[in-house]
Amino acid sequence: MELQAVLMAAGGGSRMTDLTYNTPKAMLPVGNKPLMWYPLNLLERMGFEEVIVITTKEVQKMMSTDPKMKLDVKMKLDVVCIQEDGDMGTADALRHIQQKIKTDILVVSCDLITDVALHEVVDLFRAHNATLAMLMSKAHEFTETVPGQKGKKKTAEQRDFVGVDQSGKRLLFMANEADLEDGLSIRKSIMRKHPRMHIKTGLVDAHLYCLKKAVVDFLADNKQNPLKLCECFIISTPNSALPASLSLLFFPHPELLISSRDEPLLQLAQDRSCWNDHRGDMSEAYHGGKLRCYVHIMDEGPCYRVNTLAAYIEANRLAPKLFEEVPVHPSAVISERCQMGSDSYIGAMCQIADKTSIKRSTIGNSTTVKEKVKVANSIIMHGVTIEEGCNIQGSVICSNAVIGRGADLKYCLVGNGQQIEPEGKDHWHEHTP
Amino acid sequence: MAGKGGKQSRSSSGLSGRKGAGDQEEEEQPLQAVLVADSFNRRFFPVTKDQPRALLPLGNVAMIDYTLEFLTSTGVQETFVFCCWMASKIKEHLLKSKWCRPTSPNTVHIITSEMYRSLGDVLRDVDAKSLVRSDFVLVYGDVVSNVDISQALQEHRHRRKMDKNISVMTMICKESSPGHKSRCEEDDVIVAMDSRSQRILHYHKTQGLKRLQFPVNIFHSGSNEFEIRHDLLDCHISICSPQVAELFTDNFDYQTRNDFVRGILVNEEILGNQIHMHVTKDGYGVRVSNLLMYDSVSSDLVRRWVYPLTPEANFVDQKGRSCTYSRHNVYRGSGVSLGHGSQMEENVLIGCDTSIGANCYISNSVIGNNCTIGDNVNLDHAYIWNNVHIASNVVISQSVVCDKVEVKTGVTLNKQCVLAYNVVIGPDISLPEGTVVSMHHPDEEEDEDDDEFLSDDAEVGHSKDKTKLKAFNPAEVGAEGKGYIWKASSLDDTEDEELVRKNCESEDSEPDDPDDPVIPSPETDDVKVFQMEVLGTLQRGLEENIGFDNLVLEINSLKYAYNITMKEVIQILTSVVLEYPFQQQGPQLTPAQYVALLLPLLKKWAPVFKNYVKRVQDHLDCLSAFEEHFLEQDSHWPAMVKVLMNMYQLEILEEETILRWFSQGATTDKSRQLRKNQGVRTGHTAL
Repeated sequence: MELQAVLMAAGGGSRMTDLTYNTPKAMLPVGNKPLMWYPLNLLERMGFEEVIVITTKEVQKMMSTDPKMKLDVKMKLDVVCIQEDGDMGTADALRHIQQKIKTDILVVSCDLITDVALHEVVDLFRAHNATLAMLMSKAHEFTETVPGQKGKKKTAEQRDFVGVDQSGKRLLFMANEADLEDGLSIRKSIMRKHPRMHIKTGLVDAHLYCLKKAVVDFLADNKQNPLKLCECFIISTPNSALPASLSLLFFPHPELLISSRDEPLLQLAQDRSCWNDHRGDMSEAYHGGKLRCYVHIMDEGPCYRVNTLAAYIEANRLAPKLFEEVPVHPSAVISERCQMGSDSYIGAMCQIADKTSIKRSTIGNSTTVKEKVKVANSIIMHGVTIEEGCNIQGSVICSNAVIGRGADLKYCLVGNGQQIEPEGKDHWHEHTP
Repeated sequence: MAGKGGKQSRSSSGLSGRKGAGDQEEEEQPLQAVLVADSFNRRFFPVTKDQPRALLPLGNVAMIDYTLEFLTSTGVQETFVFCCWMASKIKEHLLKSKWCRPTSPNTVHIITSEMYRSLGDVLRDVDAKSLVRSDFVLVYGDVVSNVDISQALQEHRHRRKMDKNISVMTMICKESSPGHKSRCEEDDVIVAMDSRSQRILHYHKTQGLKRLQFPVNIFHSGSNEFEIRHDLLDCHISICSPQVAELFTDNFDYQTRNDFVRGILVNEEILGNQIHMHVTKDGYGVRVSNLLMYDSVSSDLVRRWVYPLTPEANFVDQKGRSCTYSRHNVYRGSGVSLGHGSQMEENVLIGCDTSIGANCYISNSVIGNNCTIGDNVNLDHAYIWNNVHIASNVVISQSVVCDKVEVKTGVTLNKQCVLAYNVVIGPDISLPEGTVVSMHHPDEEEDEDDDEFLSDDAEVGHSKDKTKLKAFNPAEVGAEGKGYIWKASSLDDTEDEELVRKNCESEDSEPDDPDDPVIPSPETDDVKVFQMEVLGTLQRGLEENIGFDNLVLEINSLKYAYNITMKEVIQILTSVVLEYPFQQQGPQLTPAQYVALLLPLLKKWAPVFKNYVKRVQDHLDCLSAFEEHFLEQDSHWPAMVKVLMNMYQLEILEEETILRWFSQGATTDKSRQLRKNQGVRTGHTAL
């Protein structure tokens, strides 16, 4: 076993609390599948047979009842629960499962939807015997209208500055704009080794990392804040779903240099080889450095982190296409006199009545849609009841909500279990508990 | 800075005027170049006490010839060579060279002035004289290059066409990794640029820095891909738009190109000017900025990296200077004799009529013309210039030996020694590493401290006899030696904490870093600055039609700011006004034009004069400045009487004092002549 897969599914979804009020982020339906199904699927396609899932009790309970999880995921899931509100970051979580880690690990966040050729990342990790290899992609502009946010100014996103070397693979620098008030500062020695640094902005960290086992051991051995113990280089992820961020160690730290079993052999091979990772000076490969971080930047192809409402809506539109979902679940009951667009998806056990029209929408399991209802550009989760004559446009309706007869909702967000009064008319509003 | 605002408006109006005529012509304009044949620093001191840097031989050819050959081969058709230190020597050299033959494809104009103290002064003069009509190439006289800049030129022109003169400069850089031999650590730069447009966002020198800082706002330019590059060797070749000269005039605090680049980048949002970068991967382009660079460029030249500028090419086209090229990069000039058992290992260049004794071992060295070298001499990385005598049993490694030096038997020169002109060393002495010997006593310098910031190349001349008084120290230069030791180890570069090759001289001996904005030394410069300011004030007064009392107020405040006496105020005011037409229109005015331009100005400024010129002594001061001005401009004597007459009519000067000046003032021959001038005499009688 070369790599152990770890799925981080304990995040609460702090940037889309309206949606995650009752449903943990990992279980939010995207294209009628729980969000965490997507990274699991990614790992499964990659050939993993076993995954360590770090999550909360709540998610574990929901997973055991979710039919999709049972049917679709063939891998052995080793679920580890951590405290729900313990403000644990990736580093803490990894510390928690250190006993289970036997080899290098591949860490994936539960909110990643992508069809990346994962071997690209792993190959970088292998080829350079890297301490860390990660995935990044171009940031997406979300085009869909976001319910309940008309006129609300988008908070100006702080950009990440990512510095890579000439090959575009080796990660040299990473910082968020917010941390750079005094200007971007780079050590001259780094510039000497990598004289041509490309600084890219407009990239997002996909939160998919290959990490050396030594890093996990190091984290476990340094129970205090590792930031203080060594000159860490922090990949900061403000507002990210992961409450505290994984601290990556760019600089040699004695304890991180504990070599693995076959390290001397690798070192020998490297010494004897005439291969070099750089040109321009005569120093040895990697300039003798032991710690190196690599990044694979996806140029094209979908890669979403579902951590905001906008991303969630976008993902719902695109994910089913990506995974060639059947538009209508076999167990759904749909009246023949229902107009349904080809880009809509109907979940299991749904009941759709006569004279309804459903366009560009996703309708979750066990949802009842009564007569003369129009649904367009909307996401309707599980167990929702929509009474006769409703008009729903551009909205997100969370599980178990009841929409009263004749209600007219445009660009609204209806929270979990909420009731909308009959004949209610509402535009650009959030109905949350 | 009082005059700054006014000057900018002047130059912008001048620009628009020029543009109209310039646009169609631009395509056909021959390419021009500005060659600055002065380094404005003292890195080659004390060698440059006797010879300007541009004329120092590199591979037995003066450095300036490489620069001119480079310019000519890139298609430059007109070159302005600006000389300051030892201008006459450079002029003499150029007049003899192939550049001044009628067949030369590159017309060379030589412009000399003692007043240049920095690149800034040169470019301000370029602007004042309106020399450039279109884009021009700016280089120093010590650049050795074979880079093809035609593509960069095209890019530059394209950029200027696309967005209306926003890009003012394209710097040529060559890719080479940090620590490369041809990179000079002193000159190491870090550049942040926009990957797509090649626009420079941030530029600074890295020497002595541990961390490199970049302000975040440079990354807000809309692009999302940037590059931070430390793999660039600055070739010191830049393609400039004509605005560059104007910008130097507008910002008279710019001294170096570095000031300029930083100024443009910092003020980008205000002025809207941009600087771009052209990175070339092949070609050779290096500035010989110190002795270590001299070493690496010489060896690169011998190793044929600067092809087609190779030693055997004899591109300077001097008779009898050809040499043959054979295996292992060994070049022999005509008339070279080599004694029995002597070996020329590799990378050796030997000039004409040089004779080498028996059993010598020579490698990686350049030997000049007419040298004699004895037996059993070992030369490695030695740079021997012309007419040098080296006796037997001498060992020289990595050292420079200048013209007419005599090295007696049994002398050893360890690494990085410099023997300046006419020095005699030996016999039987070993000079420690980094010894510098010169015929000039290091203390001479103290006498000239005022000039120290000046350049390489401060005035020496008269103090020669004084040095004779001081005896040579036989312990330092040998029993028969002649010369004084200069701050030993100032050229030493071996100590380096990082154990990385460091390509520069240690800085402690160089208080006058050329990049530090030069702070004008007291007195002399205050007067000069004051003069500049008065000029600026008057210009602005004209443009904005400022009343005379405000002008007087401003000049008074300047007087206090620079601590100027009343006498100086009067003299400066007079000379500024009299110079004004030349300042604006260039020196080629005929006397008639001059008068036509000056008279309205005099009328306008008469109240200012009257405010200052009151007492008899003031009148005489004014007249003496008047006389001084016309003594310099002897071609304009016909205009003199008209001006004088006018000043009288405007009641600036009184009849009595003019007569008094006429009858007694003459002290020198020329001023007597001036008074005899027909015009003045008639003027005098008219009074």
